[in-house]
Amino acid sequence: MNQILRFLQRNSWAFALLLAAVLLAVNLVVSPSFLSADRLAATLATLAPFVLVGFASTPAILSGGIDVSVGPLATFINCLFIAVLLPYGLGDWFVALPILLLAGAAVGTVTGVLIAIVRLHPVVASTGVLFVLVGLSITISRNPVSAPPNWSDGLARSYGWLPGALIPIGVVAIAWFLLRRTAFVSNLLATGESDVSAYGAGVNVTTVRVLAYTFGGLIASVAGIALSALLQSSQSSLATTYALLGLAAAVLGGTSLGGGKGGLLGTFFGALVIYLLQQLLTALGVQPSFVQVAYGLLLVVGVLLGATLLNPRLTRIRT
Amino acid sequence: MTETTTDVTKSLTIPQPGATGWARLRHWAIETPIIQFVALVALIVVLVVMIPAFITRPQASIAILVIASLLALAAMGQTLVVILGGLDLGIAGYITFGAMIASNATSRLGWPVPVAFLVTLMVCGGFGAIVGWLCHRLRIQPLVMTLGVGAILTGGSMFLAKGDYNGQPPQELRSLAQLTGTTFGLPIPPVLFIVVGLGVLLWLFLAKTSAGRKLYATGVNPRAAALARIKTSLVWTIVFAFSGALAGVAGIFIAAFGSGWSQSIGDPYLFAGLAAVLVGGTTFGSVRGSFTRTAIGALILTIVSTLIVSRGLAEAQSRIVYGIIILAVVALYGRERHVRDRF
Repeated sequence: MNQILRFLQRNSWAFALLLAAVLLAVNLVVSPSFLSADRLAATLATLAPFVLVGFASTPAILSGGIDVSVGPLATFINCLFIAVLLPYGLGDWFVALPILLLAGAAVGTVTGVLIAIVRLHPVVASTGVLFVLVGLSITISRNPVSAPPNWSDGLARSYGWLPGALIPIGVVAIAWFLLRRTAFVSNLLATGESDVSAYGAGVNVTTVRVLAYTFGGLIASVAGIALSALLQSSQSSLATTYALLGLAAAVLGGTSLGGGKGGLLGTFFGALVIYLLQQLLTALGVQPSFVQVAYGLLLVVGVLLGATLLNPRLTRIRT
Repeated sequence: MTETTTDVTKSLTIPQPGATGWARLRHWAIETPIIQFVALVALIVVLVVMIPAFITRPQASIAILVIASLLALAAMGQTLVVILGGLDLGIAGYITFGAMIASNATSRLGWPVPVAFLVTLMVCGGFGAIVGWLCHRLRIQPLVMTLGVGAILTGGSMFLAKGDYNGQPPQELRSLAQLTGTTFGLPIPPVLFIVVGLGVLLWLFLAKTSAGRKLYATGVNPRAAALARIKTSLVWTIVFAFSGALAGVAGIFIAAFGSGWSQSIGDPYLFAGLAAVLVGGTTFGSVRGSFTRTAIGALILTIVSTLIVSRGLAEAQSRIVYGIIILAVVALYGRERHVRDRF
């Protein structure tokens, strides 16, 4: 028992994995066709925006800050793509993709500069950016605009055996895997753990911070593309929902809000837990309002467990 | 002990000359909400010039004041939490709960108004107290905890109301907040006086009582406060309980003002309330935070959005302006220290 606990404490993602496995098993009992091959592509397409918005909020949290604007950024990219680029004939993938990725990275960089160079409180800066993004999204598409047939549609179906939704998730995961080989991620974790020590050790704290938000913005634009693939329409009203979901996924995945601990793997399982819980409650025919209660409870319980049982450094609680 | 005039000792022993000119102005601007006040007066002038009807028809100004007072009431608890160095994202949940009790429980279950107030205060205050205590005890960021509790309360309100959005607050409650309400014969809704009264009480508490000083001390430096024998745990519990209870009451008035509720009634007040706190100049864990600042911030934001709407622009544009105002105001004085200076 003690060994299991120690394993859970040492690997911040393990608790979310355990929870996801349990929920998956229960889901399979309730609806045995849950993982059948013909539903898999659609399931993964619904899951992809959750996972990617969670991914997008992770680098900022790892750097010791927080970015509440990644969810609205994803919906902004969704509106930009479907309500602006497609009607103006810029919808081909080789035109749209660079524009969207650049826009996401640019917004992320602006947030990063506001936090690391103008030195605003991360919550304040990203709340300001959130306001601007939500306003812009509503300006671009007040009402949902449906998209004509376009390339992003394929990301929600499957290419032969490969579910299309795995492509955006996979690209981000590979990018993170490669980044882990560089000094950037180590510097990021060091900055998040203690920016003063990292600064003393010669890490360029300011650059690392800005890049963390840039990377988050880049992932958020991928999330926006995955969202467009799923919805095939522009939904500016989803901004607030995703703003909170991304944070919840990261926190459930064991990423510490103090910074310096966690990673994308945990966030993936965290997003999976939220998604599976939602599916389970929907399959059980529970009222949608109760789904929200369960989601709040999950967040609270996850945070409480992370701070008590699963905290490797818990020696003595301050009085 | 012969040579005492090295640069370091000189700066310590010889008194510094008083700040003059620019430095003094800057100090003044940081210590008092003078910039916000000037901006508010300028905005009022612009408003009157652009829409002269505000002079001839006092009803219009009263409408603005009532909307601003609701925003200020919703941001009252948030002000205390921000002074403490935390953030309460559960405000939307508390407001939804209060609005649900005010419209649904009174009409469907026939609860009298005092019971509605009491239940809202107990439930929202209770949830807030638990959040505050747990966050302090387990060193959890209040951000996530309050987010979860907010979701529980919003979902729980809908669940308890069984998805029935038709209820209306009773007439006595509506006459408190709606524009047709009167106070002792004056054509001003009582909610305005209630918020001003609460604001004065809060000012007295923060500025004149030792409990208020303890709150500031805990916000500025929790460790030092704990060493000064302040029960920081109690401070956190009470502040979050107040934040919940005040937001719940704000929810009751918001429902009375709008004659009903919906599941998203609290959402605009969460972020706009935070914006009012920040525009007023209260920053995280700061001694310079106060409700006066939040009230000025709420007035500024309400007038700005009135101006934007009167120019034929939509609510979306006012969000963009809100965002830019927050960033600009906080960049002016809410900057943190560089890592180099904390080394």
